[in-house]
Amino acid sequence: MSTPLDMAQEEYKMDMTPMIDVVFLLIIFFLCIDFKILEAKLPAYLPKDKGSQSFKVEPQEQLSVLILPTAEGVKSPRVANRTGINPETMRPYPMKITGHKFKWQVGPREITDLDRLKAELTKIANDKSTWQKDKDTGVLRPMDVVIEPHPGSYYDDVAKTVDAVKAAGFENINFGGGLGAMPKK
Amino acid sequence: MSQALKDAQQNVEMDMTPMIDCVFLLMIFFVLVIDLSQQSLEDLILPEAKYQQPDDKPPDVRPIINVLQNGMIVYKGKVWYSPAEHGTNYAPIMDLLQYFKQSIKLDIETKQIGATTVGLVNDPVLIRADKWTEWHYVGEVMKQCSQPKAAFWKLELAMSEKDKELKPKPSGN
Repeated sequence: MSTPLDMAQEEYKMDMTPMIDVVFLLIIFFLCIDFKILEAKLPAYLPKDKGSQSFKVEPQEQLSVLILPTAEGVKSPRVANRTGINPETMRPYPMKITGHKFKWQVGPREITDLDRLKAELTKIANDKSTWQKDKDTGVLRPMDVVIEPHPGSYYDDVAKTVDAVKAAGFENINFGGGLGAMPKK
Repeated sequence: MSQALKDAQQNVEMDMTPMIDCVFLLMIFFVLVIDLSQQSLEDLILPEAKYQQPDDKPPDVRPIINVLQNGMIVYKGKVWYSPAEHGTNYAPIMDLLQYFKQSIKLDIETKQIGATTVGLVNDPVLIRADKWTEWHYVGEVMKQCSQPKAAFWKLELAMSEKDKELKPKPSGN
């Protein structure tokens, strides 16, 4: 036989359904958000006056940063046992490379460590004696940097370099070299 | 009005929870499915960069060149250039750049450079390449961009806020 107190307790039972609904919705939301591509970008410039030789361009000093691959590395499938063409997307299955190594050459100095590269570039960027007048505004600023990836360089190598150059305080980044394919063994 | 009817009216409260649930589900569905700005992005693992500008408010339509690991150049799912098929004939890359100029509203400035009249594009072209794409493929795209016929001089290199390759992926088979 139920007492009045039991009946009152029964009436105040919390309905958990909306809370579970909301929790599920939040789980779905955050799972889906992770699949969205969150990207970033690094600006760079190409010469504007390409293909015209009828006027003289004043030579401008640029800081050359060479990317020199030292070890090609070993390719393996990014997802185990997945090689060749993906029949669903008709795109090749991506590979990953382990053991790829490279070094930088800034002027005469060879550098193998990213932090040292940043330090070296920051030192040059802060040295106002190397600053040059902007062609358009006439304001003094750090000289332009030209990144020269040698054959065998990957996009990742260049990205790390551009990142270090930007971090050092250089504004204008150009690209040179690197059009040769990976040297055949 | 009788007391009983008044009580009945007070007790009839609509439960809004299922409706709110449905609205949220529909919102999530449409946000994820009808995101046109993601349509031209290939599934690539981008290199990680620390000092990049976040690409938080991209325009709906902009020139994007996806460079796959094997050098294939893709825009909106269509393969424009494939090294296996086209080899050293880079005309399809130029065709893609011309297509951008015709189909996307870009800031194009007509400029006399030396003896040549050039339609200089002041909007950037976003280059997205996989982190293990050989650089010379990207370099070739840049070379084509800088030709007077294309005259794209501003570039953006797509990076990732974190290296997604480091995240362990489930192995198949």
